[in-house]
Amino acid sequence: MASPSQASLLLQKQLKDLCKNPVDGFSAGLLDESNLFEWSVTIIGPPDTLYEGGFFNAIMTFPPNYPNSPPTVRFTSEIWHPNVYPDGKVCISILHPPGDDPNGYELASERWSPVHTVESIVLSIISMLSSPNDESPANVEAAKEWRERRDEFKKKVSRCVRRSQEML
Amino acid sequence: MESADEMAMMMEDSNDEEEFYGGDVDDDSDPDDVVMDYDGFMDHDSDDSDDLFCAHHHYHHRSQNYTILSEDEIRQCQEESITKISTVLSISKVAAGILLRHYNWSVSKVNDEWFADEEKVRNTVGLLENPIPLPDEKELTCGICFETYPHDRMSAAACGHPFCVTCWQGYIGTAIHDGPGCLMLRCPDPSCRAAVGQDMVNKLASNDDKDKYNRYFLRSFVEDNRKTKWCPAPGCDYAVDFIVGSGNYDVTCRCSHSFCWNCVEEAHRPVDCGTVSKWILKNSAESENMNWILANSKPCPKCKRPIEKNQGCMHITCTPPCKFDFCWLCLGAWSEHGERTGGFYACNRYEAAKQEGVYDESEKRREMAKNSLERYTHYYERWATNQSSRQRALENLHQMQTVHLEKLSDKQCQPESQLKFIIEAWQQIVECRRVLKWTYAYGYYLPEHEHAKKQFFEYLQGEAESGLERLHQCAEKEFQGYLNSEGPSKDFNEFRTKLAGLTSVTKNYFENLVRALENGLSDVGSHAACSRSGSSKNLGAGSGKGRSGKGKGTTSRSSSSRDIDDSGHWSCEYCTYANVRSATVCEMCQQHR
Repeated sequence: MASPSQASLLLQKQLKDLCKNPVDGFSAGLLDESNLFEWSVTIIGPPDTLYEGGFFNAIMTFPPNYPNSPPTVRFTSEIWHPNVYPDGKVCISILHPPGDDPNGYELASERWSPVHTVESIVLSIISMLSSPNDESPANVEAAKEWRERRDEFKKKVSRCVRRSQEML
Repeated sequence: MESADEMAMMMEDSNDEEEFYGGDVDDDSDPDDVVMDYDGFMDHDSDDSDDLFCAHHHYHHRSQNYTILSEDEIRQCQEESITKISTVLSISKVAAGILLRHYNWSVSKVNDEWFADEEKVRNTVGLLENPIPLPDEKELTCGICFETYPHDRMSAAACGHPFCVTCWQGYIGTAIHDGPGCLMLRCPDPSCRAAVGQDMVNKLASNDDKDKYNRYFLRSFVEDNRKTKWCPAPGCDYAVDFIVGSGNYDVTCRCSHSFCWNCVEEAHRPVDCGTVSKWILKNSAESENMNWILANSKPCPKCKRPIEKNQGCMHITCTPPCKFDFCWLCLGAWSEHGERTGGFYACNRYEAAKQEGVYDESEKRREMAKNSLERYTHYYERWATNQSSRQRALENLHQMQTVHLEKLSDKQCQPESQLKFIIEAWQQIVECRRVLKWTYAYGYYLPEHEHAKKQFFEYLQGEAESGLERLHQCAEKEFQGYLNSEGPSKDFNEFRTKLAGLTSVTKNYFENLVRALENGLSDVGSHAACSRSGSSKNLGAGSGKGRSGKGKGTTSRSSSSRDIDDSGHWSCEYCTYANVRSATVCEMCQQHR
């Protein structure tokens, strides 16, 4: 088991790196300066997607044994997407603990591995926004709409984008 | 079958214990055998008749189609498999372990796949042909914590992706805590499929984690293997290696628990696994509650909750929040009742409607549910009684072995070795109770409309039951007399003969019962039409047919030893009762010998 100090050292280091060399497409910082395990992330809706122009806030919560276990990510902004639960929790395979699915259909390479960082996780979320996976949806309604009534889906997403701009 | 034989060879090398008699899958299934022995109550000279039924009795080694393995023996087998693969494919033992686990510990499957397409196999399980060493630099950066460490503080799987020792420990430890999935661990780099094997675990994990990993590794050999299973008895650590495809699934573990290898429920011959699971589900499930509710209640016409009427008048008021007032007979609103419906408390609307047949449907269902419940209760009670009777018999057997035999040996001045027949009698009782118990599940599922089969079944079951009662009575009550007598009894030898005779007659009877039930009572199938009238005379004809069928094979023998067993009894040809040699008329059924 990784010691808590290893987790905080690693998170500290990533925070410093991200401040020094910001990455296009998102910004990240601590939710509360005294707690390294809760991050606040703002993701900019990727260009050429339905989410373009939106600013979506999310909270990343790291477990004490990070990086051996994955963090959870939850959108605080309203977002309509097949892979985001109605409560905002993000469901993508790299955030699944390695033991969850020993023989299942997710390949080991798609699941959590300690080499992932805040940066690689957020980049995965951005790519999720541009290409939803409707095979194992977290939000069944959204997935159905995405598949069958794309217009309706687009309308709902644009509403989310507009609201996220108003919240700025 | 090849792998089973390999296992057989290995076992012979590693321990010469008696238990092993695998590989001997002889032609039990020859239909002639079954017919021949169907009625062969006294065929002591013929072992074949015992093969099917008694495979689990220790003294019938010949046909045992399974091996019990202790933890050490499992480890040995596993080791042997690994060594075999490692030599044949010239790969390391660790790699052989990874390969075998991937292919469910089937040596032949690994061989097949490997020689068909080695590269594909290597890719799927993550075994690199040419290991890549750590980059040859003084200092390396760990891919997880991004710290820089000297070369010797870093480690990598065969792929050469460097991670520091602390991060490895965390990675491996987390995987082991997450369960048996740790046996398929790969390099932490998501793009890399290199396997992380036992060698890495031994080098990098804590002692606790290593132990856990090795447990999972051993368990995998039993749990992922198609031909081994753990004994399901609580607290038992033995595994059973079974020769798949050899019929008879009954297995007795070294812990003395008997179970069915196929469905892992307790041993249940002659009933098949499907029936057993249906029966067990029925006993535990809500279905009987449902039947009771159907039979004894009516749904409130408004809120549909079931209501049992246990007293009082026909005016029912449903409990809050529904509070609907209605008439129990016609289920109409109470407010509409009055003079018009023939008085408040005797609804003639119901009588009228009933005459028109309006209520028939639900009434009929209710009636059926009631009957079906009674039918089920009948079988269940008998099933459960035999179960508890078996439990008590087991306790008696134990007491016999630990206390009574010694006492009896003193009282009757007999060496204990001469009293084995008592133990054998009790073992037989235990076994028979088990069989009898399951015949009730069998009977419950026997189709109602197959009258001939049903009658034949009930006849066989009844005979078996009364035979067993005789044996049980003798072993329990008569035994007491000899146990509590003042000194050696003169007639002790007669008791011996009687009990031994009853044991062997009962044993044979039950063997035949089991076989008849397993054949689906096919003996009556052909002349079901003639016995539809269903008199006991026809039943006699039914069993008579089995006898004559077999008679063809054994008439030549019947004059010699067939009718008289070792103890000098002759068994009645009609009712199987074991009579003393001197009797010329059967004591049971008064038939001449």
